[in-house]
Amino acid sequence: MSPARNDPKHVTGADRIPPAGETLPRLTIALQVADILRSLGYPREATPPARVVRSTEKILAEARPWLQPRGTYSLYAVTRQTAHSLEIGGATIAGNIGEFLHGADRIAVFMVTAGSEITRRAEACSRAGDAFAGLALDAIGSWAAEAAAEALMEQLNSQLRPGESFTMRYSPGYCGMNLRQQRTLFKLAPAKSVGISLLPSLLMQPLKSISGIVGLGPREIVGIHLSPCERCPQVGCHMRR
Amino acid sequence: MADFSQLREAVLTGNAPAAVAAARQALDAGVDPVELVNQAISPAMEEVGRLYEAGEYFVPELLLAARATKEVFQLIRPLLAQKDIPPAARVVLGTVQGDLHDIGKNLVGAMLEGGGFEVIDLGVNVPPEKFILAVEEKQAQIVGLSALLTTTMPAMKKTLDVFRTAGIRGRIKVMIGGAPITQSYADSIGADAYGENAAAAVAIARKLAGR
Repeated sequence: MSPARNDPKHVTGADRIPPAGETLPRLTIALQVADILRSLGYPREATPPARVVRSTEKILAEARPWLQPRGTYSLYAVTRQTAHSLEIGGATIAGNIGEFLHGADRIAVFMVTAGSEITRRAEACSRAGDAFAGLALDAIGSWAAEAAAEALMEQLNSQLRPGESFTMRYSPGYCGMNLRQQRTLFKLAPAKSVGISLLPSLLMQPLKSISGIVGLGPREIVGIHLSPCERCPQVGCHMRR
Repeated sequence: MADFSQLREAVLTGNAPAAVAAARQALDAGVDPVELVNQAISPAMEEVGRLYEAGEYFVPELLLAARATKEVFQLIRPLLAQKDIPPAARVVLGTVQGDLHDIGKNLVGAMLEGGGFEVIDLGVNVPPEKFILAVEEKQAQIVGLSALLTTTMPAMKKTLDVFRTAGIRGRIKVMIGGAPITQSYADSIGADAYGENAAAAVAIARKLAGR
């Protein structure tokens, strides 16, 4: 890894890839109570009991200072692509990715996290016997990580050329992309710069972290592809996009 | 027969202070704690489970109801102990070695406590030997294993293998659960039961405990 990639900000122009990238020690995220309630299992059309809504609002207000959303990405030119593999930065990412990343000529490998404090607080609540607060804080951490990924995508806008767009985000563990691909992504993005590490079980630490890839390319080609979720049988998943 | 409608309503709405107050009032009036459990707590929690299965209740309502009953049990457990009535069973719970996720396990623990079980929660990343120590120390009848990832679920099989080697497998019932777990996986590793969700865990544990 080049020393430049450990700098807090190592933005370079797209003409300098590979790799370009950026480390964002503080991402701005927006969390809505409605999102947390969905994560707690309530479908969009459900009306949660008022006491659940009030409790969730209160927990969310308390939790906001415990969130530490941050992220990093590295941008690579695609050197070779098939329906089931992608070569970037001298590494091969394998998976059912051709359909989702078709047409992308650059790939951003990203890592985001909500930090570890929210998980510590959730565990403390659960240990103290307040399983509801523990669950709500866990959901807040999950949504904060998702929101951090969206905020990082906003930052990635600066890497788009005129007429370009993003593909959908795609992460190890999604349909057709084995979790073992985590190891490859961790070689391609400076995860340590935002305090994310990979455990032998392939879990990320902090737990509320997301790793993944997203393609950049001509809007008329990359903008029309399926969401990875459309291939997933879990149609009731609250994270479905 | 005593009127338990207030207590049932408090459990159904997850109002722990109201549940404890109603239970205390009933006990002060001379109601037998066993009757309190059989006539009010258990039927109320069964109704909560039915509403969850029917899609009318969601996980938060389950947890709030479980917390209400747990607090009532804290009130009446000493009285049950005086009558030599043990908890439904002792359950050792933990997320298997290598896995750090604990929310699913915590939900199961909360529901089991609400169902009158004594729960010994060992936390996450629990090696097989720690389960064995807890089983021996607490004389537990049931062990619950949780895993969230396909990469960590093999630790369930390893844990069961160590139980067999240590000679405790015949003395305990093992229930497993977690996002990637299925009934066929439970069968393949020789677990006694698989629970699809936290609400199901109470009925499964009761069955395993022979109650």
